[in-house]
Amino acid sequence: MSVQLPTGAGVTRQMATGGLSQPAGVPGHSAAPVKESRRRFRVTGNGAAYASSADIRARAMGYYFVFPALALFGLFIAYPLVRSVMISLTQWPGFGPSKFVGFANFSAMFSDPVFSTAFFNTIYFTVATTILQTAVPLVLAALLNARVRFGAVYRVAIFLPALMSLVVSGALWALIYEPKFGIVDSFLDSIGLHALAFAWISNSATVVPALIVVSLWQSAGFFTLIFYAALQDVDQSLYEAASIDGASAVGQFFHVTVPMVRTVTSVVVTLNLINGLKIFDIIYVMTGGGPDHASESLSTYLYSLAFGGQVAGAVPAVGYATAIGVVILAFAVLVVIVQQFLASRRRVL
Amino acid sequence: MALLSGQAVDRLAVPRILVGPKTRSHVKRRAARCGVYVVLTVAAVLCVFPILWVILTSLRTADSAFGGSFIPSWTEWTPIAYLHAFTQAGVGGGLVNSLLVTACTICLVLFVAVLGGYGFARFAFRGVRLLYLLIVSTLMIPIAAILIPLFLEIKTFHLLNSLPGLILIYTATSVPFAVILMRGFFQRTPGELADAARIDGATEWAVFLQVMLPLVRPAILTLAVFQFLFSWNEFLLAETFLSSPSKLTLQPRIYAIVGMYSTNWPLLCASLVISMVPIVILYALIQRKFVAGLTAGALRG
Repeated sequence: MSVQLPTGAGVTRQMATGGLSQPAGVPGHSAAPVKESRRRFRVTGNGAAYASSADIRARAMGYYFVFPALALFGLFIAYPLVRSVMISLTQWPGFGPSKFVGFANFSAMFSDPVFSTAFFNTIYFTVATTILQTAVPLVLAALLNARVRFGAVYRVAIFLPALMSLVVSGALWALIYEPKFGIVDSFLDSIGLHALAFAWISNSATVVPALIVVSLWQSAGFFTLIFYAALQDVDQSLYEAASIDGASAVGQFFHVTVPMVRTVTSVVVTLNLINGLKIFDIIYVMTGGGPDHASESLSTYLYSLAFGGQVAGAVPAVGYATAIGVVILAFAVLVVIVQQFLASRRRVL
Repeated sequence: MALLSGQAVDRLAVPRILVGPKTRSHVKRRAARCGVYVVLTVAAVLCVFPILWVILTSLRTADSAFGGSFIPSWTEWTPIAYLHAFTQAGVGGGLVNSLLVTACTICLVLFVAVLGGYGFARFAFRGVRLLYLLIVSTLMIPIAAILIPLFLEIKTFHLLNSLPGLILIYTATSVPFAVILMRGFFQRTPGELADAARIDGATEWAVFLQVMLPLVRPAILTLAVFQFLFSWNEFLLAETFLSSPSKLTLQPRIYAIVGMYSTNWPLLCASLVISMVPIVILYALIQRKFVAGLTAGALRG
């Protein structure tokens, strides 16, 4: 993916060059040999090409360098990917012989109510967190960029939750949501809204929004930081010009801030989409997919089918679980393709 | 603030996004400015308050966690829950295992990624483009999509429920991102330096070790920080591959504590606080590098 990362955050500029759709940067395909005569080895990188047999030997050196990476990649990523697709076409309890069933696992999903819930929840969670975790950080970053006093204090405070792992965040918020002694309901109690005090994560109607709040809490600070870094690079004269033209604060936000950080926004959206699709930790820790599968996501359902043992009855449904993994994979590929498409179109326009 | 001229207010004090047209009254601007502070303060409080609450709860005794005032009086504070977190809940074992796994993973990933990144950046061997595209195309793949085949594979290697097995998986699944990152850095290093060394008769290995490697030292630190955060916070793989209590790394250990001590809130909160400490220390020590590593890591699938 040709993600343009926010500048000003160290590594990010380099990341952009390492980005996916940059075939022009691939060694060995660059043109114009330069200063041919004096080099013993011809090594690429800055536009060199190969000619002699010594060059070929030098080129072959590359295999030594990339071998460990390729070996690990082939063994633990490429092969499992292929195997994943193969297992998804079988009926298999995880031991003994497997039976090839074609796409039966995939068609079975349509009549599986738990799968429907998990599917719907994953989409719901992904869309909601993507919108919230893009909009809220963008607004916060714009406010932080408004030369506030104690700006550093606000920045650190808002960033602090990003230091928690998702497991820790989930465990923490499970206590916060606890109906008797958690702070949400204690607070509602203390301001006389006892009627609203509620078992937020053990009710199927409120569980997914409650999980979305946790996700927002944990990751808003990080995305705020990314947007804030991007805003540091926006030319201030644009704001002055807009101001002279009579644009209000809100107008400047929509007509200067938002367009100027558009590339960063697309990165943030992509990251949120991918993170949403694989949502596992928060749900697993806080609800385990319950109550009664109400907060099941594709990942948690896959996990309980393959490793939990309780969902599919006595026999783990490894073939079916793997098919769900393939669905997650398809979603991730879709997100990347759409992002690529949008990025390429933007470049043309 | 009011003493400054209108222009000075524009330049110095008024939020840039809130600078209205010059005809607007100062009153309105000040109201907007107050609004900025209100929103930021509310956001900051919402972010910090849960963490503060956990810390306060961890300092109570087991029987006083429920009820009582929000902030217990100084005299009631006790570190007993922290002691119990180590003696009863096994947080210490989780910390040690996590440190071990994290340290080994960082070393292995750096080794593999520095070599791989250099190879892909500077050598035009046959198939380099295809191989690189293959690796790049797997960058965003969610772990869940390959979890089951990975499990079967590790089972075949008899590495289930072992820290070396987990280290191997962490290293391997980090390869695409780490190699892409390092390749980017190597491509930005000036090739002339390497060429000069070659003219002086240096071998390719010497060029790599003595010329190129020192040039990408900042990148190596960034990758190390990112890898630390990934290994420290990773849960799904650790939960899948580790089973015996003595082997658990910190995140699955926290999950187990949530299940075992759901009614002992001070112990639970103390465990959460302990698990945050190493990350907070790292953040305090190397704030800028930390953010760079985190930003780079966000790209990882």
